[in-house]
Amino acid sequence: MMTAEFRQPRPRMPLTELPVGATGRVCALDGEAALCQRLREMGFCESAVIEKVSGERTLLCQLCGTRIALSDRAAQHIVVELIRGGV
Amino acid sequence: MPADTAKPAAPSRTPVYALVGNPNCGKSTLFNALTGLKQKIGNYPGVTVEKKIGTAYSQHGHPLTIIDLPGAYSLAARSPDEAVLRDVLLGRRADTPIPDRIVCIADATNLERNLYLVHQILDLGRPVILVLNMMDVAERAGLVVRAARMEKELGIPVIACEAINGKGLVELKLAMSRHDLPLSRHSWAIPAPIAPAVSEIAASLSENDRRPPLIARAEALLLLTDQDSVRVAGSRPLSERTVEILRSWEKRWAAQGTDWAGALVNSRYDAITELCTHVIERGGMKTGASVSDRIDAVVTHPVWGWVVLGAIMSALFLSIFTLAQFPMDWISEHMASLADAVKHAMPAGDLRDLITDGAIGGVGGVVIFLPQILILFFFIGLLESTGYMARAAFIMDRLMSRVGLNGKSFIPMLSSYACAIPGIMATRTIEDTKDRLVTILVAPLMSCSARLPVYLLMIAALFPVATVPVAAKVGIMISMYALGTLGAFGFAWLFKRTLLKGEPPLMIMELPPYRLPKIRDVALHMVERAWLFLKRAGTIILGISILLWALTAYPKAPVGATDAQQIAQSYAGMAGHALEPVIKPLGFDWQIGIGLITSFAAREVFVSSMGVIFNAQSGEGNTAPLRDALLAAKWPDGRLLFTPLVCITLMVFYVFAMQCMSTIAVVRRETNSWRWPLFQIAYMTGTAWFVCLLIHQIGRALGY
Repeated sequence: MMTAEFRQPRPRMPLTELPVGATGRVCALDGEAALCQRLREMGFCESAVIEKVSGERTLLCQLCGTRIALSDRAAQHIVVELIRGGV
Repeated sequence: MPADTAKPAAPSRTPVYALVGNPNCGKSTLFNALTGLKQKIGNYPGVTVEKKIGTAYSQHGHPLTIIDLPGAYSLAARSPDEAVLRDVLLGRRADTPIPDRIVCIADATNLERNLYLVHQILDLGRPVILVLNMMDVAERAGLVVRAARMEKELGIPVIACEAINGKGLVELKLAMSRHDLPLSRHSWAIPAPIAPAVSEIAASLSENDRRPPLIARAEALLLLTDQDSVRVAGSRPLSERTVEILRSWEKRWAAQGTDWAGALVNSRYDAITELCTHVIERGGMKTGASVSDRIDAVVTHPVWGWVVLGAIMSALFLSIFTLAQFPMDWISEHMASLADAVKHAMPAGDLRDLITDGAIGGVGGVVIFLPQILILFFFIGLLESTGYMARAAFIMDRLMSRVGLNGKSFIPMLSSYACAIPGIMATRTIEDTKDRLVTILVAPLMSCSARLPVYLLMIAALFPVATVPVAAKVGIMISMYALGTLGAFGFAWLFKRTLLKGEPPLMIMELPPYRLPKIRDVALHMVERAWLFLKRAGTIILGISILLWALTAYPKAPVGATDAQQIAQSYAGMAGHALEPVIKPLGFDWQIGIGLITSFAAREVFVSSMGVIFNAQSGEGNTAPLRDALLAAKWPDGRLLFTPLVCITLMVFYVFAMQCMSTIAVVRRETNSWRWPLFQIAYMTGTAWFVCLLIHQIGRALGY
């Protein structure tokens, strides 16, 4: 497995800034309550693992077996920690 | 804990089953497989937005009523679509009885997320059958889903199924035929601080809103997570007392700063994750990209994606022209020989004219476009059933977000190329009310198939010689579609900035994996559309053709008058003359005016109207092609009526003008007021008039 255990905390960033091709784990949702609930129900809940497939204005993500397209305005409220790939 | 059993449904009444599941979980396929042709669908099924009811038969041959409810991710509704689902399941709707039993369909490849809705439904305390669909896909993805273990954990029947191959259907029907179904014994911990609120609201619901206790508890949980409830017409509102209690708890929590909604969702997910650890085994993770991923790499590429979309659109319009030619010629020949046969067989007189000019001429002129409409629906059905439609929406999102709409609006707009009515109905999946309204307002600007006959007739009149290359015709056609599309985007941009100012759009949309198209489903859809079209041709259009013929034939001109004089002084002529001052600056005369008026029944009626008006003038004996009749038409001063400039202007008029009663009726129903449909008529027809005025006057000034 590529996920080596790091001693230092993993870098955190909004999903919009996760590099394309990298995988991150959701740490927190920081938007309005209604948006957060909607994101959670679509599967973007805390500790979900997301792979960013492509990302411009509209992001394409792989989330436990499904492809989900979401606007950057929604993605910026998803805080992820980088766990694999990128950089 | 002994399994609780539900009371068997009274034998005298047909038990009602509801089909519930996430979007893209294969619910519609399962519904088709269960009910076959015994379905009652609204006129315009579109994507799964209409409430569909069908009949299936139990193993013992008893009928079972099956309601196919709209797909949703959660009972907390965010669109009218999801609100219907929630309200039916909670028994809030008067028009639909609360279902006796619920069949939940979950996509086995994506169980965690699918189980969220299932879990909410288990809370309702109704007998539930869980169907794990797409087991074959899950297996190929290296997932082992143990249905038997799940059955043990939840205490309800769990059926492994491959709806697309018909596997698991017998088991499902067996389970549905059982007289007693156990209730679920799922349990999950509601966070302690929330518990008192849940019980207080539940108590009020059962006392003031007459809900059964289990439903009351489920509804209480829902009310606490659902911040702004979407309400739809026809559902009973909550009692004041319940609303009061809810508000007071909300205030209390807001003061404390606790995110109770998030806590509830998370604790539900905890229970689901716990369940999944027992049920799902992730086998050897597949290496490399799946077929879907590889297709997506091209199709959603920022450059190649556009190339693919452009190629598909060109192929669509090209095949409308080339492939349809043969069946169209065939229909046209037979219509002409039918009319000639009637002319020879019957004595001259009003009745003969009624049949040949009114009925055959009018209906024939419209039926001839059936092949092209079928091709259009074939393409749209194909795009939908392969899963490409969602990709198109994804690509378009980048463009649509510039004008303030989100990619989801693309699906209604693309459907509107076929017909604005399913398009407008497909807007029910758009969550934001303002985005939805803007989409409804601009959708009829996308050229629908009813305009196709008008465009084709005008293009035929533009290029009367057969030597003109197909490319020129296709080019003009594509530019008409492009004009309408640009108009739709332009007005969407304008409305989002002025009338319906709102937040920039947010899209969260699942892209289903690619599948081979279900030719049977596509064919069924096409047959349905063809039937609707023919039914319309046989009823409304036939009626209008006969009415129009009568309006052109009466009052009778004095003996010896020419056909032209007859039409001019008929009732239709009077209406056309009344309209002429308004449309003369656009280069249209009163005869075209009659066509514009009758187009309100359906735009393609323009063609049949022209057929009735101009064939009546073409004299005895032969049924000349309509095109030649049009080209021979003149203004009273001898100028040609259908000059190339007028043909183009007329096409542009049809691009923009709102001329469809059925669309107006649907907009009225969907927006629940007359304000928006009336606004739509005003802005669309107003634009049409101004744009045509500009084109015609500039064209004239340039000497065309």
